[in-house]
Amino acid sequence: MQTIPKTSTVLSSLLRADLITQWRNRRSFVLLLLVPVIILISWKGIVEKFGGPFVLSTCITIGLVAIGLMGYSNSVARDRDKGIFQRLRVAPMPAWCIMVSRLLIQLVMIVLLLTVIFIAGNNLDHITLSPSGYFVGFLAAIVGGAVYLGLGQLIVGLIQNPETVNSTSRLTYFLFIMIGMFGELGVLGEQIKKIVLWSPYGTVKRIIAAGMQPAIWNSEMTTALLITIGYAILFSVIGIKKFKWNNK
Amino acid sequence: MNTNTHILQVQGLSIYYGNFQAVRDVSFEVLPGEIFGLLGPNGAGKTSTLSAIEGLLKPQSGSLIVAGNDIHKKPLYAKAAIGVQLQATSFQSELTVSEILQLYAGIYGVAMTREKLFDILRNVGLEEAGGKKFGQLSGGQQQRLSLAIAVLHEPKLVLLDEPTSGLDPQSRRQLWERMENMREKGHSVLLTTHSMEEAEAVCDRIAIIDHGRLIAIDKPQSLIDSNRTNPEVIAASRRGKVTLEDVFIGLTGKAIRS
Repeated sequence: MQTIPKTSTVLSSLLRADLITQWRNRRSFVLLLLVPVIILISWKGIVEKFGGPFVLSTCITIGLVAIGLMGYSNSVARDRDKGIFQRLRVAPMPAWCIMVSRLLIQLVMIVLLLTVIFIAGNNLDHITLSPSGYFVGFLAAIVGGAVYLGLGQLIVGLIQNPETVNSTSRLTYFLFIMIGMFGELGVLGEQIKKIVLWSPYGTVKRIIAAGMQPAIWNSEMTTALLITIGYAILFSVIGIKKFKWNNK
Repeated sequence: MNTNTHILQVQGLSIYYGNFQAVRDVSFEVLPGEIFGLLGPNGAGKTSTLSAIEGLLKPQSGSLIVAGNDIHKKPLYAKAAIGVQLQATSFQSELTVSEILQLYAGIYGVAMTREKLFDILRNVGLEEAGGKKFGQLSGGQQQRLSLAIAVLHEPKLVLLDEPTSGLDPQSRRQLWERMENMREKGHSVLLTTHSMEEAEAVCDRIAIIDHGRLIAIDKPQSLIDSNRTNPEVIAASRRGKVTLEDVFIGLTGKAIRS
């Protein structure tokens, strides 16, 4: 009887390959980081008015949207189109290993994003948080990252064509930034502001900001956290259910 | 029927895409050390049959036993016994040839030393290309790498889906020799092809599939002999001498398929 490789061996091989691929595509990740870092630099004057957590949580949320929508969904759409998943699926391993490896890479990217934003926030804008603020803010950002990875999964689940995935994810990214940022500040009216507060952008941003100041965490933040988890589950379940491994 | 004597046993396979039935009650076996060709016009059901054997799609009915393992009851064991070269296989274009081989060695549980890696690369004529990225390889080199990965774990059954399409005559001949080497080493090969020349040159037995049904199965020469007097085959014959292509055209018709 043929032997089956251990799942841990399979996962480590996939992870190694996915990490190398991500490293060789590092230019695109640097570009994804550029927008939040530019906002961080240009919002230096806002720190005093709105506070460090507001600025940091905005930059992190925008970075998370970029990773989930443009990083994850585009790489999955491209590899699916090339037939890379089909080749992996004929191997003796559970199909979930392929996606777990991809998601772990995105988790590494989120950790990198948070590290860059926290260091840049401290060095450029002189934003300092308490150790518990960094820790809870970090955990909240991971939960927020799940929402946008779920949204990325939803896009590749509903759309097959890689070019359409690319344009849809860019459009969604643009809308999230524009409506999210300006809507939250009330520039687009009170009604839009209310919608934005409970949208995937608003809830993620608020739990990250509140996580950075654990002392101000209240029941509204708990509701925002539960809604965030709900968004992550909803997007992921539909995205996984509708997902096809090949384009034919 | 004793399934242990067969490397692959396909029994009563039916596949639907919505209301369209792509494969209709197909049954055949592949024996140990046999090169078995699956021929058919475009859309006949060859790739669907192969996809079901690979475990990529679930048939509506029928059973698929690979090296004694039911593909649906013991999918991982069945897949471990199969080596695959897909029609549209691609690997990550950012990875080098060596990195791709190491990835698949890990996935198939093959211990990969530097010497073994070099041996594999030398066997497929890619010893100079180990550090090249997949995206930089020529079509022939990509095909050879794909074949090297298909046999990396010494599978009992190798599935090759139109492996020579787009290759130049030299590369095609070289691939035929590789298939014959696989047979000598005891691997069974299930090959789909549009080339009658290829089927005649390398296959021990062939099956012709059309509109999802298996319409003929035999040795190439036996198929020619048994259809020599078939009026459709005679009508398809161009030079007076009946060839496998004449038999194929005679049995499947002259109409071009999409």
